[in-house]
Amino acid sequence: MIDFSVYDEQFPHISGWKCQKCGTIYYPAPMLCKKCDSRRDPTTGKGWEEFNLEGPCKLLTWTRVWNLPEGFNRKFLMFGMVEFPNGLRASGRLEAEGDPVIGSTLTASVIEADERPGKPVKVFLFS
Amino acid sequence: MAPRIGIAGIGHCRFGNSSDYDLVDVIAYSANDALYDAGGLALRKQVDQVFVGNMAGGMFNHVTSAASALVSRMDMEPCPAELIENGPASGASAIKMGYMAIAAGMADVVLVAAGEVMRSVSGWEATNIVATMSHTEAEYNMGLTLPGFAGMFTRLYMEKYGMTERDLALVAVKDHANGALNKYAHVQLPVTIEAIADGPEANIVNNYIAEPLRMYSTCPITDGSAAVILVNMDSPKAKLFTKKPIMRIAGIGSATDTHCVHNRKDPLVLDAVRLSSQMAYKMAGIGPKDISFAELHDAFVIFELLNSEECGFFERGKSFIGVRNHETDIGGRIPINPSGGLKAKGHPVGATGVSQVVELVRQLRGEAEEGRQVKDPKYGMAVNFGGFGNNVITTIVAKD
Ligand SMILES: [Zn+2]
Repeated sequence: MIDFSVYDEQFPHISGWKCQKCGTIYYPAPMLCKKCDSRRDPTTGKGWEEFNLEGPCKLLTWTRVWNLPEGFNRKFLMFGMVEFPNGLRASGRLEAEGDPVIGSTLTASVIEADERPGKPVKVFLFS
Repeated sequence: MAPRIGIAGIGHCRFGNSSDYDLVDVIAYSANDALYDAGGLALRKQVDQVFVGNMAGGMFNHVTSAASALVSRMDMEPCPAELIENGPASGASAIKMGYMAIAAGMADVVLVAAGEVMRSVSGWEATNIVATMSHTEAEYNMGLTLPGFAGMFTRLYMEKYGMTERDLALVAVKDHANGALNKYAHVQLPVTIEAIADGPEANIVNNYIAEPLRMYSTCPITDGSAAVILVNMDSPKAKLFTKKPIMRIAGIGSATDTHCVHNRKDPLVLDAVRLSSQMAYKMAGIGPKDISFAELHDAFVIFELLNSEECGFFERGKSFIGVRNHETDIGGRIPINPSGGLKAKGHPVGATGVSQVVELVRQLRGEAEEGRQVKDPKYGMAVNFGGFGNNVITTIVAKD
């Protein structure tokens, strides 16, 4: 039995997850470990280690999206896909002067974004 | 041994803007057309099962349970009816479910009708609704949309294989030339390479959407519907469907891939396309060289190129060279998207898979318009994407 109502995330960060039984790491969180079949309970996290996914990362590819809807108040938004030194990859927003270079090292941090309706969400910012 | 299962009737509306009309009416229009094409509206009483393909009527139109509504609107009660949702591959999935229902012996005649009315909301809202199929925490919440992913994907391909933005424009020129001749296409205007790539105003006419993708690398937002009547060709009921030759479904394959694009070993490799096409080839007992033409899911033109490689029509990284050499034109070695594809015909998400199969049947019957009819085709193949290549259905239809 699981009770999602007790789940109330306290920390403004984005997590990677490590299976304590076999050490395999994931982002985003899986519901089971593909290597050793360990189950993950999202309310307790028991048997899984949560770690902050942030810091240096390598840019794999990027785009600049134009004509944003109301709420964004800017001409364009850049997005990128990165790889962390531990091998995990992530997609998120990108900030750069001019055109970024694929393969360059960036720093991943986490911000809260509220452009879309609903609760603010956590967003990677690669800069 | 499954019975022979074929397509006895097809229906399709002109794609474009149907936002003043009710979603269920839009779908029912093509369903009636398919019955009429198969021999008459009275055949609706022979239908054993209805499957409706629709991705997001709940969000676009505040319409849920569209299959229940459709049977009632078409005077088909108490025919069993279910709604099939598989993102932008809902249509091909509905055909697959119809095939499975007949193969399982639970039906001999299945009506598959699919549609989407997206222009009921703004362009951005439509893009946002489609983006809800991505991973909520790791993709959607970041603000990413499908054009954003396609832009990143296109850049990777360009870096790796040396394709240029002009090559993307060449695909669009070919698709629009075909779409201009298709009475069902949303955009029926040809474009020139001068207008969208080479000319002095190309950067304005063909502005960036998600770099390096431009407007002419992206499908429009489109409403529309399409329908097919599937029949067990070995059943007594098949004798009721004699108006048009029945085109046989020779192969169906489908496969899934990781939900998050970044979790693929090589984000440029579309495993689900390759695996689903291999399944379909195996079932049909044929290979890529036997395919006369293909309708490939080109919501972004980069997908047409990638799909044509994963399906075995080109080596990896070589498809854009084939486009340069006109190998994918009508009359080329392997005509791709003779309908104009999603790029010109339009992409009413839930309807697209059925629309592609309608095009296969039109071509195989020799009913396509002059100038875009493939010469004497034997096998047509359709690839329909759900998600960003993470749920793919391949359908092969044969003219026996
Ligand atoms: Zn494990």
